[in-house]
Amino acid sequence: MSNNFFEVKNVDFKVGGKTKVANVSFAIENEGDVICLLGPSGIGKTTILRTIAGLEKIKKGSIELNGSILSSEKKNLEPEDRNISLAFQENSLFPHYTVEKNILLGAERNKGKKDHQVSLQEIIELLDISLILNKYPHEISAGEAQRVSLARSLVTQPDLLLLDEPLSNVDQSFKEEIQEKLKKILKSSKITTIIVTHDSYEAFYLGSKCGIILNQELKQFDDPYNVYHLPNSIEVVNFLNRGTLIPAEVTSPKSLENKDLGTITGNFIKPFPIGSKVKLLVQPEDLHHDDKSNLKFEVVDRKFRGTNFIYTLKTPSNTLIPVFVHSHHIHQHEVDEKFGIKRPIHIDHIVCF
Amino acid sequence: MFRNFNVWFLSSLLISIFVSIPILTVFTSFFEDTSNYYQILKDTFLFEYISNSFVLLFCVLIFTFLIGTGSAYLVSFFEFPLSNFFKWALILSFAVPPYIYAYSLTAFFENYGTAFTILKNLFGDGNYNNNIPKFDGMFGAILSISFSLYAYVYILARASFLYQSQNLIDLGKNLGFSKFKSFYKIILPAARPAIVAGLSLVAMETLAEFGAVDFFSINTLTTGIYNSWITFDDLAFANRISSFLLLFIFSLFIIENLSRKKAKYHFNTRDGLKQKEKIKLYGSRSFLAFTFCFSIFFLSFLFPLSQMLYWTIKFPENLFDLQITNLLLNTLYLVLLSSLVLIFFSLISNYGNRVSKNKTLNTLSTLSISGYAIPGVILAIAFITFIAWFDDSIVKYLGFTSIKKIFIGSILGLVLVYFIRFYSLAFNGIKSGYEKINISVDESAYLLGYSKRKTFMNIHIPFLRNSLLFIIILVSLEIIRELPITLILRPFNFETFATTAYISASEDLLEAAAVPSLFLILIASLFIIISSKYILRENNE
Repeated sequence: MSNNFFEVKNVDFKVGGKTKVANVSFAIENEGDVICLLGPSGIGKTTILRTIAGLEKIKKGSIELNGSILSSEKKNLEPEDRNISLAFQENSLFPHYTVEKNILLGAERNKGKKDHQVSLQEIIELLDISLILNKYPHEISAGEAQRVSLARSLVTQPDLLLLDEPLSNVDQSFKEEIQEKLKKILKSSKITTIIVTHDSYEAFYLGSKCGIILNQELKQFDDPYNVYHLPNSIEVVNFLNRGTLIPAEVTSPKSLENKDLGTITGNFIKPFPIGSKVKLLVQPEDLHHDDKSNLKFEVVDRKFRGTNFIYTLKTPSNTLIPVFVHSHHIHQHEVDEKFGIKRPIHIDHIVCF
Repeated sequence: MFRNFNVWFLSSLLISIFVSIPILTVFTSFFEDTSNYYQILKDTFLFEYISNSFVLLFCVLIFTFLIGTGSAYLVSFFEFPLSNFFKWALILSFAVPPYIYAYSLTAFFENYGTAFTILKNLFGDGNYNNNIPKFDGMFGAILSISFSLYAYVYILARASFLYQSQNLIDLGKNLGFSKFKSFYKIILPAARPAIVAGLSLVAMETLAEFGAVDFFSINTLTTGIYNSWITFDDLAFANRISSFLLLFIFSLFIIENLSRKKAKYHFNTRDGLKQKEKIKLYGSRSFLAFTFCFSIFFLSFLFPLSQMLYWTIKFPENLFDLQITNLLLNTLYLVLLSSLVLIFFSLISNYGNRVSKNKTLNTLSTLSISGYAIPGVILAIAFITFIAWFDDSIVKYLGFTSIKKIFIGSILGLVLVYFIRFYSLAFNGIKSGYEKINISVDESAYLLGYSKRKTFMNIHIPFLRNSLLFIIILVSLEIIRELPITLILRPFNFETFATTAYISASEDLLEAAAVPSLFLILIASLFIIISSKYILRENNE
């Protein structure tokens, strides 16, 4: 047995006999930690949660919680016998009970088990559902149903809380507020949580660790900062869609050379022999705009993202490079204009493949 | 197959196997010897049986299509005097089984019948019998069955019209179509799956019809089955004809199922739920629409009701001869017992299917619900055949005492065969209720610590309450009207309104058949009125 609070060891997650994610291993060290699993739709994230909840069985590996085996090839604890709560993505409220009764059914499970670190009333207020307590599930919106489902799961005070795209139906304008409140509730109630989402910002904000699931594998399981800045594979880079890979040659332990950008200095996260031909990850924030620079490229696209613009520049060798510029920047560049890049180019973490 | 083996799975499997027994019994008859009757019948009447069945089926389908679709179109799209009343009044014809309609038709048009009395009272003595048309034989059977069953087409066509997309109708207007052209180019084709589903139900019921065709002495496959059993005591041959009939009915059943799936697709479109604005009719058009709907309502319901009422008043002695309380109690006893048994086992079977998620079990369930498509006569005879075989086997090989009497001519046997016959009604009713409960609701319950039994009792049963009530009403309605199974399997001296009416009519005592028929119509009407809101899908059921 390990010292981790929760652990998945070499599990093949299957549904209907078909493997969705193979040979997965990850752990949650401490009780009360929140982790996020990130991946495109249909990749098997929900299957992972359903299996942890006991709704699907496993034939390989094991799932352990607090020192006890929940699932293995030989053992499968029934869902009702694991104190695990799963808030489904789709509406799973009991249709013939009011919102209040639905939440109270969750509270019933917790009777006499643990002290309520966060009271029922607090959860109702934080999730802003007090006005719909007397309504039936068919009378509320999808976003409201999702918050009620979340409230019901939270009040059960489970040993492990599983949230499947908990905010996917919540209005964009309301999402950040709910994210903040959810983080607050999870922190104060000390509920160990696994959140599944396809929204990387949501995952980076809520989770202390993030797992990236791609092509039937858990590609990376690390701190959000590392996942973002130090992706461990080209697939993760492509999934996060945060930069571009350009050809370069390693010229010293702290530099490399690209035909269009010239010399780039920085710290390699993984050493490469001098002379190696590599693919360098250039993220939008790695390059800086400078109108006075003589290194100029043509603007082929400009995206306004509120706080910033992302310019897409075309190099002489037809590589497209994204560059961030604050939206209050003194002047803007139109498509087909020339755009200067500050020299010398220095990237803190050099990520190469 | 047995990966998800548990008590729910096992119960569900056993129920499905039990309900499938008559189908298997009928088809095994292919390999049994028959008496000489088979050869005689093959050389003489078999062709007549088949041709009569087809003529009857063909005419009833055309007639029910015309009046069912026509009336549904009028009440769905137009506003005219009493159109809201006709909306539900047109389903009251369900309260009049074909055999009671046949008695009414004969009573009214026969020599010196009610029509004669009316003419005599209006115009004095005269020889009116020659001028009064006679609706008997094949024509009488077609009318009786059509007026009793057209409501299947009416209900499904109306539901389809009701939920038809407003956009579709607007499109017709936009293309400059006339109302008639919109009807046959857009509305009718869009409702086709629903209408085909309704017609398939009519077809199955027509082929299964026993009371009316027997009364008019039309030899069809169904009466042939009954006669080969009653007259020649040849169960094997009865089963052999049954298997021919069943093959035909199963093809209809498949068509109906396929159509229903498509029909469901039409109902589910979001646009379709938009309430359409009805077109208000004026003048002659309004009068014609009213006349059409009133005529159907009158002919299908008021006419048989008033004929039976008239005879009950004219011959009050029949009212006192009959032990009404007894008949009522017997009928209610059967209704209550059968409904509870059906609900109980259908719930278990549905839940078993839900929790086991087993494809084999699902297929078996689909096969077992086909009991509704099997004529009552065939079911009753197949049941007797099976019990006889089973009894012989346990007496011969195991040395047990005969158990025949426990099942044949007993309430138990009767309820068991009702169970097989109406299992699909209960099973499908509960299934459609269950389809509204997302599977994640069950899973949420498990994750809240509910066991499977607790989920069933605390989550499913309260949610299905309305569906269960509706199923009880529907099953009750069927059992009140049911004739052949009750006739063949009822215990000695145990009568219902249906059997009393049939026995009196078969003894040429139509006046005596009026009282039980009247009571049957009244009770059935009451059930229909209570459940009309569900039947007409007024609340998106």
